Amino acid sequence: MSIIEPIPLETLNQKNLEYRLNLARDLLVPDELFFQITAHAPGYAEALFDAMYQSHALGEVDHTLKEIIRIRLTQFSKDTYFSNLRSKKAQDLGLTEERIVAGCGNYSDDNQFTSAEKWALDYASLMYSNPKMVNANFYNEGKKLYSEANIMELGAFIAFHYGMQMFMRTLKLLPLNSSNQ
Amino acid sequence: MDTNPDKVDEEFYLCLKDYYSTEEIIELSAFIGFNIGFHTWFGTLGFYPMFTPDGRLVDQEESARIYGEKPISHTKGAIERSQ
Repeated sequence: MSIIEPIPLETLNQKNLEYRLNLARDLLVPDELFFQITAHAPGYAEALFDAMYQSHALGEVDHTLKEIIRIRLTQFSKDTYFSNLRSKKAQDLGLTEERIVAGCGNYSDDNQFTSAEKWALDYASLMYSNPKMVNANFYNEGKKLYSEANIMELGAFIAFHYGMQMFMRTLKLLPLNSSNQ
Repeated sequence: MDTNPDKVDEEFYLCLKDYYSTEEIIELSAFIGFNIGFHTWFGTLGFYPMFTPDGRLVDQEESARIYGEKPISHTKGAIERSQ
């Protein structure tokens, strides 16, 4: 029995959720289970998915980099749900599991990552392991590699996804489809 | 959830259900998760509120003097320093 019982899909508000469910089915992050849980609070499934999708799948920063960051963040959140989801869009753009593993490992000395990518991975890693290191000097380095708009996009993405991972972690869930890994 | 998430386990949720509906638990949990993420991020940006506790618009330098470096209750000095 789940800690929070998922709402059956057929009873969700299809008018509000149908196009969002279709976006989620295309991206595969999150899967339908996220809607079935968060829809317990009216309006939350819509609002949380919109923020998640906007920050992850849209924007100027490379989606494949964000996908690596999202999965790296689960090393800190220890969330079994989001850690096992994989973006189909990122896969279609050429992101491999090997590159995800590299980004989740010791990327600092890995030549396959650019300086900008390494800064973004540091940004996510330090934010929830040693946030005092994310200081003015750190941001000054980031501004040599990204626009302020891109840095805000990355920061909001990291903050939102980490927060949702911490929430889902406590529910001890796994993705609905185990083949989506 | 933030400092010891392992303690937010099945038993913890069962206790919550004595006091809150499932709708309220999801509302609280998502709200808390969202704030865990954003408070840490905004903390790295070094911003202070634009307003004093009584609603006066101040610049960042004065706001930093009023609120200090540690997030504590306004009754611990911020109200006095804003006057």
